[in-house]
Amino acid sequence: MDFEALSLTLRLAVGTTAILLVIALPLAWWITRGHSMSRAVVQAVVALPLVLPPTVLGYYLLVALGPLTAPGRWMMHLLGHPLAFSFSGLLIGSVLYSLPFAVQPLVAGFGGVDAGYIEAAAGLGAKPAKVFYSVVLPLTRSSLLTSAVLAFTHTVGEFGVVLMLGGNIPGATRTLSISLYDQVQDFNYAAADRTALLLLVASLVALLVIYLLPSLRKMDGRQADIVR
Amino acid sequence: MEGRLTLSAKAQESLLAVAIRHRVGGLSLDVSFELTKPWTVLFGPSGSGKTTVLRTIAGFVRPDTASVVCGAPKRTLLDTGERVFVPSHQRLVRSAAQSARLFPHRSVRENVAYGMEWRSHPADEAQVLREVMELMRLTTLADRGTADLSGGERQRVSVARAVAAAVAFDGVGKPLLLLDEPFAGLDGVLRDELAVGLRDSLTRWKIPVLSVSHDVGECYLLGAEVIRMAEGKVIEQGPVEWVLERERERLLSRLS
Repeated sequence: MDFEALSLTLRLAVGTTAILLVIALPLAWWITRGHSMSRAVVQAVVALPLVLPPTVLGYYLLVALGPLTAPGRWMMHLLGHPLAFSFSGLLIGSVLYSLPFAVQPLVAGFGGVDAGYIEAAAGLGAKPAKVFYSVVLPLTRSSLLTSAVLAFTHTVGEFGVVLMLGGNIPGATRTLSISLYDQVQDFNYAAADRTALLLLVASLVALLVIYLLPSLRKMDGRQADIVR
Repeated sequence: MEGRLTLSAKAQESLLAVAIRHRVGGLSLDVSFELTKPWTVLFGPSGSGKTTVLRTIAGFVRPDTASVVCGAPKRTLLDTGERVFVPSHQRLVRSAAQSARLFPHRSVRENVAYGMEWRSHPADEAQVLREVMELMRLTTLADRGTADLSGGERQRVSVARAVAAAVAFDGVGKPLLLLDEPFAGLDGVLRDELAVGLRDSLTRWKIPVLSVSHDVGECYLLGAEVIRMAEGKVIEQGPVEWVLERERERLLSRLS
């Protein structure tokens, strides 16, 4: 087992999920409340990584974050090293790549919130931000968890973007999925077995959490009522 | 349709001056009135546009042509001619809709306390909360969740929530309380007691009310000013006895 790759993958997934939640919450809320035209454009751009070959996204990011472009040079000046082939660069790539997986469940969840609740809160004098975190978020907790789990697991599983943008640098950009690829290339099937199994079980557990959520939540509600 | 609606000079002294022209569904709403009494009831059959009027004042509906001017402190909340639209949460208005819409993740007490949470000086918050809970007979339900409340109980929580938000308001002036069918789904004696208790308490707190009703008995109990509406128009406005006596005469004349 390549523990360096495991630790790197976990750091990348945790970092990506944290950044994604900060970005996806307001973005999804805006999409839910937005007007048809601008909303359609933003939704299409956000969903792009779903259909785009990961290598295409990786290629553009490589060019954009490398020393060939103005923003890339500016970041290089700021950080002292180019973003491409670095952990920070990988983080940016992962955020963009997993964005639809974080945004879509939230858009679905927010869209399902009865407008009556939002009006009730506004009619009591609550500011829009207060309505969002005191009414909308508590009513969409399961969407929030789905969004986080999907962002996390999708980051763990990404391959094409990482390969294009990160290269294969141990400790900096070699994630588990890349490490698995290396192990197979080296005919080290014993190691590849363990890596593949770990990724398989982890993904299955994550999906189980999502699908078990509705029944868990119902139980929560019952217990809360009894306790109160 | 005219681009602007003008309000009379008397509107300057009223609590609220409203003029609305709006087409919604098959209804053509065309009303204008002023609130001058502590409690006014929009009275009329269902489908006469009462709820749309309330929702316009609360800021949930943008009519084709409308102006809503708050009296004290004077402020234009809505003027379609001047493109003025103050968002709901900035209006000196607190409202309870006809459907209760209790927050399911909060207990009864937490629901009632919702509108008090962003006050700057919540010194007497517990006191106000207790009074409002007692007033709406919710004290024994305080720690319950909202999932298995009856329709009447939900309605009481919804009204209590709006009342608490209005009482707790700590800015300049007093909020206008908008109550859509506040006693719907409540039985005779309890309804009468709640109506009288609410009227007395809100008078004491100096909070003006505009409510919606299609119940004659409720209007009498509240001793309110009545604005009688039908088919999107204001038929007449005056003290409850006067307006409803005219209504009675009209009904009798139809029989003879």
